Amino acid sequence: MWDWRSQPLTVPSVIAMLIGAVVILLLALGVVTYTIYVQRRILGWMQLRIGPNRVGPLGLFQTIADVLKLLIKEDVVPAKADRALFMLAPIIAFVPSFTVMAVIPFSAHNVFTANLGIGVLFYLALSAITIHGVMLAGWASNNKYALIGGMRSAAQMLSYEIPLGLSLVGVVLMAGSLNLNDIVLAQQHAGLWNVIPQILGFIVFLIASTAELNRTPFDLPEAESELVAGYHVEYTGFRFAFFMLTEYMYLFAMAGLCATLFLGGWSGPLLPGWLWFAIKVFLYIFFQFWLQATLPRFRVDQLMTFSWKVLLPLALVNLVLTGVVKAIW
Amino acid sequence: MSGPLIAFYVISLCILGCAVLMLSFRKVIYMALAIGGVFVGCAAIYLLLGAEFVGVAQILIYAGAITILMMFAIMLTNHEATEPPFQWNARNVASAVGCILLGILILLVIRSTPWPQPDTSVDVNGGNSNPVAIGMALFKQYAIPFELVSLLLIVALVGAVILAQHRKEDE
Repeated sequence: MWDWRSQPLTVPSVIAMLIGAVVILLLALGVVTYTIYVQRRILGWMQLRIGPNRVGPLGLFQTIADVLKLLIKEDVVPAKADRALFMLAPIIAFVPSFTVMAVIPFSAHNVFTANLGIGVLFYLALSAITIHGVMLAGWASNNKYALIGGMRSAAQMLSYEIPLGLSLVGVVLMAGSLNLNDIVLAQQHAGLWNVIPQILGFIVFLIASTAELNRTPFDLPEAESELVAGYHVEYTGFRFAFFMLTEYMYLFAMAGLCATLFLGGWSGPLLPGWLWFAIKVFLYIFFQFWLQATLPRFRVDQLMTFSWKVLLPLALVNLVLTGVVKAIW
Repeated sequence: MSGPLIAFYVISLCILGCAVLMLSFRKVIYMALAIGGVFVGCAAIYLLLGAEFVGVAQILIYAGAITILMMFAIMLTNHEATEPPFQWNARNVASAVGCILLGILILLVIRSTPWPQPDTSVDVNGGNSNPVAIGMALFKQYAIPFELVSLLLIVALVGAVILAQHRKEDE
């Protein structure tokens, strides 16, 4: 029943897939909840504040309280908004962000991983679908800030997807496979994490993934000070919660991708695989919050130039170098 | 009925539903969304057939890039882009009759063609994983056509840039 990867589709394996999806959804929701809590505590610590500390011991239940508040809030749909698209947009944005979890190997035995032969490509393809949700949300809100935010977001995510994809090609070349499980195994076999031979690709990946996640210093789509909040300015209640959930789900997924491709995934000495994976994911997430607390925002005219004239050539150089080294070896 | 067959019928129904919706919508942005649904459905069919790479490439290029391009074009040109309501006139009747005839013709051709039965014992991927098999075919067997196509794409890209730049200078 549980080894659906090696057998044809039957009723028990479909039920097993559903159970697996629910388990991963609960896990991801838990991770997202405490990512938000950790973000607020770390930002507080870096800015010499205390951060949330009222709800529960050390403020541990703060996010749960916030989510509850969002869920019971009134669901407002603006009168001049395009009603159907306005309701559909959060769903289009969220579904791919959760679906990409299917290819990320959480541990050595990865019970709930799809073991897709084209895992890396699957992640890139699905994350592009989220752009539709963001763009439609901006358009359907019928608000100029939302529209500008949505357009900015789409332009930014599209142009940073190219260096992101190219920076992954180096890793794929090293492992000779697009399968994330195989990439982890190749790193374990080589005894060297990809971050060392692929250091150029790793730097490009870090920058491009930060932009892809719309996080500081690339948070132009949400720029509070100029766009109010960008594409989700008209959203309230649980629809707003869905956009926030999408954002943090992608943060988790991108951290998982980074850990798998560049930091050796679940492989590591002594500790069990899932713990190594959790540590590496936490490192990436901490890095994002660190950036958020210390860097100012990019200017909108620098943004595109940086992607096309700096990151893209760097990624190409990395690709050529990897190819040459691989051919000589 | 086996699992894949049920999945095939469900996915086909979704594709056809999206296609019919695309034709019946009056707002252009809804049409773009419906066509995105058709693309995703086609990708699901490819995945069901075991063509992983083609399926994901379909999502990446068609459902991702091309649909977004359409949405950009719609949003940048006309906010309230709607088609006039439908009414029957001579041209519409003629095209409806033409479509029905074409449908019958295609159905007859499909029905009368003897389809080769697939031999499930032969591995079309030649023992490799699906992307490796496609890479082998593209870069060994079809290397020259592949390079020619990439040349064509570059020419189209540069040509588009030059055309866009020329218009700006005129102003």
